[in-house]
Amino acid sequence: MDMKLSWGRSAMNGAFLASLVLGTPTALLADTNAEKLGTLRTIRPNNDTDVKTASSVVKQLSESGDVGLIDVLKSMKGASPLGKNWLLGLANSLHRKSPESKNDSLRTFLMDASQDPEARYTVFRWLTDNDAELKAKMLDGMLQDSSPELRFEAVAKVLNSSENLETGVLQSLLDASRQPEQVVAIIGRLGKQGVTVNQSKHFGFLDTWNLIGPFDNVGSKSFDKEYAVESDYAAGKSLAGGYDGKSAAVQWVTETTADPEGVVDLAKVFSNEKGCIVYGVATVELPADLDCEIRVGCINAQKVWVNGKLVIANEVYHTGMQIDQYVAPVKLRAGTNQILIKVCQNEQKEAWAQRYVFQARLCDSTGKAISTK
Amino acid sequence: MRRWVFSFFSIGLSVPLGVGLCAADDWQQFRGPGALGASVSSKLPEQFDGATLKNVVWKTPIPGRSVGGAIVVGDQVITTTGDGMDQRRIRLLSYDTKTGKQRWEQQLVARGRPYCHPTSANAAPTPASDGEHVVAFFSSNDLACVDLQGNLVWYRSLATDFPKAGNDVGMSSSPVIVDGVVIVQVECQGDSFAIGINIVDGTTAWLMDRPRKANWSSPTLVKMPSGKSGVILQSSEDLVAVSPSDGKAMWKMEMGCSTTPSAVADGNRLIVPSGGLTVLDLSSAGAPSQLWKENKLNPNACSPVVANDKVYVVNRTVLVCGDAFTGKVLWQLRIPDAKQIWSSPVIAGNRLYLFSMEGACFVVDISGEEGRIVETNQLGDEVLGSPAVVGNAMYVRGATSLWKIASE
Repeated sequence: MDMKLSWGRSAMNGAFLASLVLGTPTALLADTNAEKLGTLRTIRPNNDTDVKTASSVVKQLSESGDVGLIDVLKSMKGASPLGKNWLLGLANSLHRKSPESKNDSLRTFLMDASQDPEARYTVFRWLTDNDAELKAKMLDGMLQDSSPELRFEAVAKVLNSSENLETGVLQSLLDASRQPEQVVAIIGRLGKQGVTVNQSKHFGFLDTWNLIGPFDNVGSKSFDKEYAVESDYAAGKSLAGGYDGKSAAVQWVTETTADPEGVVDLAKVFSNEKGCIVYGVATVELPADLDCEIRVGCINAQKVWVNGKLVIANEVYHTGMQIDQYVAPVKLRAGTNQILIKVCQNEQKEAWAQRYVFQARLCDSTGKAISTK
Repeated sequence: MRRWVFSFFSIGLSVPLGVGLCAADDWQQFRGPGALGASVSSKLPEQFDGATLKNVVWKTPIPGRSVGGAIVVGDQVITTTGDGMDQRRIRLLSYDTKTGKQRWEQQLVARGRPYCHPTSANAAPTPASDGEHVVAFFSSNDLACVDLQGNLVWYRSLATDFPKAGNDVGMSSSPVIVDGVVIVQVECQGDSFAIGINIVDGTTAWLMDRPRKANWSSPTLVKMPSGKSGVILQSSEDLVAVSPSDGKAMWKMEMGCSTTPSAVADGNRLIVPSGGLTVLDLSSAGAPSQLWKENKLNPNACSPVVANDKVYVVNRTVLVCGDAFTGKVLWQLRIPDAKQIWSSPVIAGNRLYLFSMEGACFVVDISGEEGRIVETNQLGDEVLGSPAVVGNAMYVRGATSLWKIASE
């Protein structure tokens, strides 16, 4: 069936709602399936009308059986993240009704790298969850797959196959791997073979920051307070000078972290100050414009700006930190790019609430570090 | 490797109460009928063993990791898991109660952050059922509803609807279902709310702002003096009774409650983890009056269990029994060799079953004037969720396997 996925949302909903009200002749069902799938593809967040319509669509398509499993999987390509889950739910229902009957077409779908990565991984699981031999065979060719999940599985399969992998094999795994824990494990294995990898550089962590602070955050009241550092940054002014801090004039200091995960320890630099804010600035030189991602991990409340635009803001204290905790797409430009981070510490006294740290990296959408000058 | 700051978190420990909702032979929500964690007519084996499979009817390995409990609906035992990269694949799984064979599976992809403390899991909350639907909630704030054949009924990404909702230590509040409404409590430092969702189509019935503080406790269902259902929400700042149909507060008390174990309703008594235990009188309209308060009955992680007018709490590795009418401490029993206990205990007959995180099950005789450990069984699987007890069988969701324990 030729999917008409480019149809506008209102037209699709209108046609579908009309079919609900008027009843749909059986002969026309096939013609409206693309519209129904389109409804699922474009479901909007926090929209009861869309949720109600999608619930009806899924029920109708699941029960009628007149929509093809492969068509549903194909419709995931380009769908919104919410839409993909509705389609995935429908696909699971359809697959359950005849799990073995479409294996050839499912294999063809899986091997088509142009299809949606999540749909392909779902098919991979259907085909291989109870067939370890097939799973191993399929993963052999997936080290560089465009699906992060398939790539993760392919790397894990080789990594877990032996404790004595050759250096060249480990290096090929490092080239393929994107998931942070897996990357760290591979670098650790290489280290045992005497091969040193600059882990921070591999991830693309920003390791050199100009820091200034502390500014007042007593009572955790200043997350949204625009100190002069922020207003000067927004105005494009030079940030070279000093500022009035929490209790005295403060000056910029340069901190280069040697931490393999790019962690900048503000508690150490600022003598365990509590109830405070520290700003950090990093600059990145690029030879050309680039769409990429900034990925931040931070145990404290934080805001991040890239070239003047606020891209990340989380007023959360001491509830976990890890690599790639917060992710935002950004557009970097040729020449100098300036990243500003505002990191807020509160006044909790518990032993586990004393950390004042952050990490930030620039990478492509798969997690591979970008190249800088 | 990943770095974490430890904080208290609940592993589906809180108590979704199914007052009057559960079929007699089902365990449809976390801690089962009445959320009392008790099946006084059941008789379970005192001895079982994960290695020799003594009194293990079946064991089914499950990919990924879960720290929530399983539920039992008819002849299905239903659980969740998070597996694949970063536990982003969220799955609902149904198994045949007799054979342990998989009946169906539904899988989606987490749209919120799936990160949590290594002890926990994305699949931390216990699912819930009304006998027709199954609702599963995940730490990533993904909420899915399926029918009893596993077909998707609706899906909500609360992390997409409320982008600042989340807690990277891990969320674990379990949903409850009452009067056709699913109630989910999402309390954190970002977007913090309770939401009622129509179970038929997934639309929002109501939304209530909640304190912006981390909270892992679950909603608790009660019967109000009028006979109508009520939902109890607790936090470090308040205790509020909400009408499940429209989300309106029926009463609210400014009081600091625990943010890990949840309240239990035993008849007209609401047993609240607050200053140890605080017991409130629900027999008259309006805000309830206090019946008693006892700080020695302090449930630090596990929710209280009530049976035969006695209340049991686990304070770290000490089991404490109190009189449910007066709060008087009747006895205390140290659980030897248990390092951590997150799984709320269950009672079958006159035996209390308490799992340590390491997978040791302590069987305690609670029939006498003192508690007495009669057996210690090793399952060989991490256990953080509370077991389900149906008939003379206990279903235990280990971190990586599902177990049916019953006499051979």
